[in-house]
Amino acid sequence: MNTQTEIETKLKSIFKKVLDIQENEIVPGARLDESLGIDSTEMVEISVVIKKELGIILKDNELKKIHSFNDIVGILKNRTS
Amino acid sequence: MEKISITGLGIVSPSGIDKRVFWANIKAGRSAVEKIERFDASLYPSRIAGHVRELEGYSNVSSRLLKKIDLFSHMALVASQLCLDDAKINLTQENLKRVGIFMGNAIGGWLYAETELRDMYLEGREGVSPFMASAWFPAAPQGQISIHYGIKGFSKTIVADRASSLMAIGYAARTIIRGKCDFILAGGMEAPVTPYALLCCNTSGMLSKNNDNPKGAYRPFDRNRDGLAIAEGAGVLTLEGQTRVKQREGAHVYANIIGYGTTTDAVNRITPSPDAKQLANAIKIALGDAMLKTTDIDYICADGAGSQLGDATETKAIQDVFGEYASKIIVSAPKSIYGNMLGASGVLDVITTCLAIEHSMVPPTINYETPDPQCDLNLCINKAQEKVIKNAMIINRGRGGINCVLILQKP
Repeated sequence: MNTQTEIETKLKSIFKKVLDIQENEIVPGARLDESLGIDSTEMVEISVVIKKELGIILKDNELKKIHSFNDIVGILKNRTS
Repeated sequence: MEKISITGLGIVSPSGIDKRVFWANIKAGRSAVEKIERFDASLYPSRIAGHVRELEGYSNVSSRLLKKIDLFSHMALVASQLCLDDAKINLTQENLKRVGIFMGNAIGGWLYAETELRDMYLEGREGVSPFMASAWFPAAPQGQISIHYGIKGFSKTIVADRASSLMAIGYAARTIIRGKCDFILAGGMEAPVTPYALLCCNTSGMLSKNNDNPKGAYRPFDRNRDGLAIAEGAGVLTLEGQTRVKQREGAHVYANIIGYGTTTDAVNRITPSPDAKQLANAIKIALGDAMLKTTDIDYICADGAGSQLGDATETKAIQDVFGEYASKIIVSAPKSIYGNMLGASGVLDVITTCLAIEHSMVPPTINYETPDPQCDLNLCINKAQEKVIKNAMIINRGRGGINCVLILQKP
């Protein structure tokens, strides 16, 4: 899993599962707190599921810099390339 | 004390979620206690409880939020909305910094906690949801209600075992009198029908083991009583001061809170003091607060723990305070119908008493068959009785020797 599309598809499925939302609610470039109302605890939950399903640990300094869906895609892409 | 009005009722109980259904079941004395089938409870000494049905049908809580909260918060949110609807209060027109939330709870949210603890032992610390921290503790429902409505005023959660929500209501009334809030959502919630919570309740030694006859198991004041049946549920009231009630269009007053008293036994961590002196003192304090004589009380909604010592000492306290009049006052423990909601039992007693005052009808104690000379009270047995109730007294007691008494008056 290392193409941009594969990463996006997987991350969308994680978002759907954790947040109980529809895929079309995800706006890739929008701020997660404003577009989806994601708080810090939900971000931790997302990072736990990413670790479980993709084996990738998001570090604290990386979590602090995440503002959008695309930010997470970028981190995951770097780690898997 | 200055009168504080009860202007809205929100009920989530095994006897019904809708106010009319609840009262019809109470009036008829229809037991809602059942065998526990939600999980395998076959090895528990007591495996019966009152269960809430059809909560989803009354809930507007999102599935996203439901993942983050325990059942006791969900029930509290539903009861709060039902209460606000019943009171015809529109929060968009209120100063939310002057609205408070006072809730009572005894044991916390164990359905959520147990699941996460299981995951911690199976998967390690990362198996635990980050929402665990904010889901399980007794004040979690207060927080969820405040977030849901944007309520920002002075608020508290009281933990006092089975007296929790009655104490929360007493403190809420005093908070309005002190001028700290314009109105308050007051009540409580409990969700003890989970494997670990049921185990803890069992080890307290307070539960009935009459598992073959769930509907007949909880029998307060009966000679063959052997404990209480637990129940899940929530209840919420709106409390408002007199000036506000008079000014607010559409306000309906069910009853006024006019007296409150609380004491502690300081004797044993589980059982009440055999001399019942501190419960008697709490009754006297409440009567003094209400500026009433013993003969002014028309009905007592009893704690009715269903334990040998609990009911005998409650009877003794009533007889010590009321003297000869004790044999004339009508007494009942309507929670025998749906089970004992522990920290939420007090608010359900207040709601039942409000409806009793409104309908001029005393709710019954059910399953009473064999008189006990140690519980020689004038009980309303098995079916409601017509009676105009001007002043009513509610008694709640908790482990640790907690005694709590509230007095309501017909408006």
